[in-house]
Amino acid sequence: MIWRNINSDFNMADKAVFLFSLLLIVTSCFYFWKTEPASYATIKSPQKAPLHVNLDHEKIYTIQGALGISRIEVTHGKIRFTDSPCHNKFCIQHGWQQQHGDLTACLPNRISIQLANARDAANYDAINF
Amino acid sequence: MHQPHIQISTNQQDRLIAGFAALAISIHLFESVLPSPIPGIKPGLANLVTLYVLIRHGWQLAVNVSLLRVLASSLLLGSFLSPTFILSLAGAVASLLILGIAWHIPGKPFGPVGLSILAALAHMAAQILTAYLLFIPHSALFTLLPVFLTAALISGTLGGILVNRIIKQTSALKQHE
Repeated sequence: MIWRNINSDFNMADKAVFLFSLLLIVTSCFYFWKTEPASYATIKSPQKAPLHVNLDHEKIYTIQGALGISRIEVTHGKIRFTDSPCHNKFCIQHGWQQQHGDLTACLPNRISIQLANARDAANYDAINF
Repeated sequence: MHQPHIQISTNQQDRLIAGFAALAISIHLFESVLPSPIPGIKPGLANLVTLYVLIRHGWQLAVNVSLLRVLASSLLLGSFLSPTFILSLAGAVASLLILGIAWHIPGKPFGPVGLSILAALAHMAAQILTAYLLFIPHSALFTLLPVFLTAALISGTLGGILVNRIIKQTSALKQHE
């Protein structure tokens, strides 16, 4: 079996490389999995141009969607749906969004909110072939 | 009818490259039809051939075998010049470069396992970077980096152990002859 005498497959440099790689992976976990607060949100609705919203204040936005009016609340770095004319209210249950890269949406009403740490951080999220 | 007489003279090195490239291409094709539990993660068995050739026959032969493998497999799979091919090439070039550096360090400190881990990590990092620069320019892509690097470390370590055993076995055979 491959597990027998596995120690003899590694010389000193190999062990060093292995440990260094482990260290690199652990570091990359801390570096790439940290969360960043968002400062802007982009609200997209079917009839109007995308609305860039600064999250540094308190306000309730009323947005016209495909079914009716959705209400979106902003308070100090957080944003959420408070009311929407959809059937399941998933958007409201999804709750507060506050991290860079977060996304929430009311699909029946065709309104989406994308959070970012800069005004135009999210131009596009993928290119497909 | 006059039959054109074409003769290509080959030397020992050409035949080695062709043989090992054919082996690597077969493994690559076999691997491409294996279902993967996580998209983007493959065991990278074709790269074991590159590693074996590097240790047995040197870096230049390994470069030839690896690049031939990428080119010919893409032609056979129909992915030539597609994003798959570009990512494959980026990974191969990055791992060949780091293997070239590690192989030419005086005293040759690294065994097959160390070389394999270095190559696997370089391969993965280069592919993610290429995907970010060309296809998915969104920083969320790097969220996957720790997962992919862990997979590269596991497959690199196991691959290195395999190559080490293969080299031990084949050198025992050689002494027997």
